[in-house]
Amino acid sequence: MSQSPILLEARAISKRYGGAIALDSVDFNLHRNAINVLIGENGAGKSTLMRVLAGVEEPDSGSIFLDGVPIQLRSPRDASTHGIAIVHQELAIMPNLDLSENIFAGRELTRSAMLDRSAEDDRSRAVLTRLHHLLAVNTSASMLSLGSRQIVEVARSLAHGARILILDEPTSALSVAETQVLFEILLELKSAGVSIVYISHRLHELLHLGDFFTVLRSGKVVGQAPRAEVTRQWIVECMSGRAATSDIAQRPPHTGKRALHALNLSLSASSNNDSAQVALHDVSFDLHEGEILGIYGLLGAGRTELLEVLAGNRTASGGTLQAGRLSRLPRDVSEAMAGGIVLVPEDRQRDGLIPELSIRENIALASPAGFVLSRKMELARIRALVNDLNIAVHDVELPVTVLSGGNQQKVLLARCLMLSPTILLLDEPTRGVDVGAKSEIYGILRTLSTKGLSILFTSSEIEETLALADRVLVMCQGQIVAEFDHSELSDEALFSAASPAALKTSLYAS
Amino acid sequence: MRSVAKTLSSSDRLASSSARLILMLLRARAILVLLLLLVLFSVLAPNFLTANNLSILAKHVAISAILAIGMTFVILTGGIDLSVGSVAGLGGMIAGYLLTQGLSLGGAVHFPPLVIVVFLTLAVCLSVGALNGWLVARAGVAPFIATLGTLYIARGAALLISNGKTFPNLAGTAAHHNTGLTTIGQGFLLGLPAPVWIMLLLFGVAAFVAVKTPFGRHVYAVGGNERAARLAGIRIPRVKLATYLFSSLCAGIVGLIIASQLEAAHPATGETFELNAIAAVVLGGTSLMGGRGSVTGSLIGAFVIGVLADGLVMLGVSEFWQIVIKGVVIVLAVAIDQLQTRLQARFLPLILRSSQEAGA
Repeated sequence: MSQSPILLEARAISKRYGGAIALDSVDFNLHRNAINVLIGENGAGKSTLMRVLAGVEEPDSGSIFLDGVPIQLRSPRDASTHGIAIVHQELAIMPNLDLSENIFAGRELTRSAMLDRSAEDDRSRAVLTRLHHLLAVNTSASMLSLGSRQIVEVARSLAHGARILILDEPTSALSVAETQVLFEILLELKSAGVSIVYISHRLHELLHLGDFFTVLRSGKVVGQAPRAEVTRQWIVECMSGRAATSDIAQRPPHTGKRALHALNLSLSASSNNDSAQVALHDVSFDLHEGEILGIYGLLGAGRTELLEVLAGNRTASGGTLQAGRLSRLPRDVSEAMAGGIVLVPEDRQRDGLIPELSIRENIALASPAGFVLSRKMELARIRALVNDLNIAVHDVELPVTVLSGGNQQKVLLARCLMLSPTILLLDEPTRGVDVGAKSEIYGILRTLSTKGLSILFTSSEIEETLALADRVLVMCQGQIVAEFDHSELSDEALFSAASPAALKTSLYAS
Repeated sequence: MRSVAKTLSSSDRLASSSARLILMLLRARAILVLLLLLVLFSVLAPNFLTANNLSILAKHVAISAILAIGMTFVILTGGIDLSVGSVAGLGGMIAGYLLTQGLSLGGAVHFPPLVIVVFLTLAVCLSVGALNGWLVARAGVAPFIATLGTLYIARGAALLISNGKTFPNLAGTAAHHNTGLTTIGQGFLLGLPAPVWIMLLLFGVAAFVAVKTPFGRHVYAVGGNERAARLAGIRIPRVKLATYLFSSLCAGIVGLIIASQLEAAHPATGETFELNAIAAVVLGGTSLMGGRGSVTGSLIGAFVIGVLADGLVMLGVSEFWQIVIKGVVIVLAVAIDQLQTRLQARFLPLILRSSQEAGA
């Protein structure tokens, strides 16, 4: 009896959360010994579907068949028994335990009711060796990089005999080197009989790795195809539901007045916060009035650090700045704001929005106020901003958490605009925002720039950089390595410039 | 592919080894402080290091140590148990009631034997622990609030049992076959007081469970990253419930010990005991955020507080100064704990690189 190419079949899976439909009768086929790619915008239902398969959530209706046999997945333990394991986007590592303990957490090996540490250590060592990750198993997990932690989670799945490995946005926090290691591991696992589900936004990765593609939109499956039939255009069209338009209009270079002049900015690599910071080496550039300057680079290039130095959130170890009303590098954020420089941070959940406060309060948060808060004045300006930015809400008193990712980003933008900046810095302006809201935000930013606002943004997405920037600087390992005028921009040029020299032999041949 | 790291300079290496040394000292601070205090007091007070004094000292310490051992598991999961003092008081009152009033069943009054008295006392105390566990794990009440509530409930119950009065004469009468309470608190075995044996037994069991059993690892996992622990299949509510049960059990045992030592049960017994227990746990290196710490540390912490208190008494220091000193010690302990965490984070990259180089 020959095996069906489909190892796991999910049929008519539906799930709703309160009023929102997360999955609408989804059929999903997981091909055996292949990398099954799952794509979709934020909120499309990818994570929900995978959580259902991993037993973390139960669907409202639908059935799952493994090798043709119906199975019930009521808990992560059930899923584990059937050989299904998931590595979540936010890693589930316990930092106070070591590698071996993490791998066996919840499923400890025992001998007469006592922990069998030597057996656990042996198994952990074996699995980590298989994954080419030769770390001592007694290393504390707190000492591991994000990439290593991810490998440990993969190791955990393998140590318990996973046949199906689900990876949710595995590379979003990895360095290029770590990503390459992960890809090699996945290909090896594939040939060793593990079937993989890979969820990601990064189209070039998916096109490189994927064997079978499934696209979700608004909780429904809108496209399924094997690799041979898949193109980038097909993916984008499925995801957004409309034909991709190439809206890279011609944009003349800006030669107007200089709004910002940065010279030889440097940052040392010592850690003065919880995390180590990337060093900056002699970064110099200009920003013109009304220009949108994009800084493209991969994770670890130093983009965030550069923006934070400009915004007063980090202290540079050298260099000068003339920008807005500032004649020197700002010593703290209020000084930068007073000088006209405002930063929209990358992680709006952690660094931007206050979830307990309403939309209005979030927008008004940073505004200069008199001794007493003046609601009336605030409200008028806030309503105007909400209108201009097209934030989809009727009542600004609602908590900010009711909004979608795209609208939350607009709230953060509104707050920054309340301060009437002359220079707006944006770190990953549309992270976690769906395609529709993305173009809206780009449109808003472009309108602002025509009104004279100078914009500096960083991005790790080529698409975004191409769509938004008038001019692009490429950063790599703390330095500016390339500059592109709008007419010179292309995928390959950007990516090539951003990769550290040693890894240039391209991962991304397609 | 490893990142290209330049080999460590000699100054880096020196910094790394001194960092390691400092971190090691910090980690062992509890026992170092204890040794320091023992040396200090034996020099300043002539009778300090006598076997007799140390035996009495250990007996005093046993009370806080037992509570601290129970408290450790709760704090390791990131919780806290403020009710242990009240539960100790309640335990004493239950025992007192049963020993002096007996149980009226079916019209007649029965005096249960000591074993049953102990059993019933501990059962009542465990039920408080169960309530704590349910409130925290199922009802989602913050541990501070939940156990603050049971602190008052248990204290109120203790007062209600006797209407605020004391139960004297707990030695029991032969006629009622309920003698023997006095051994728990006043007995001796091989020269050590019974409470010390109880403390050692509980310590042994707790330390074993913490280090050698899956449950122990689950406790640390829950404290380290609750979300990750849940995703790993660990049953969080059960783990938390177990920690509160054990804490209340220890509190009940302490209540029995005190009632035995005084041969009377006072409803106010145990007031502020919880703070001593928490202080001992924190002194011993357990983090209030959970995930870090040890039962051994808590034992040492209890001894530090006990030695400090006893030593100061022997030196004739005012009781009120003792209270101030205890507060200072606790604040210092937590501050040093923070220092350790920060130093560790700061020197981590350096230490990691030097150990990589050494091929460790």
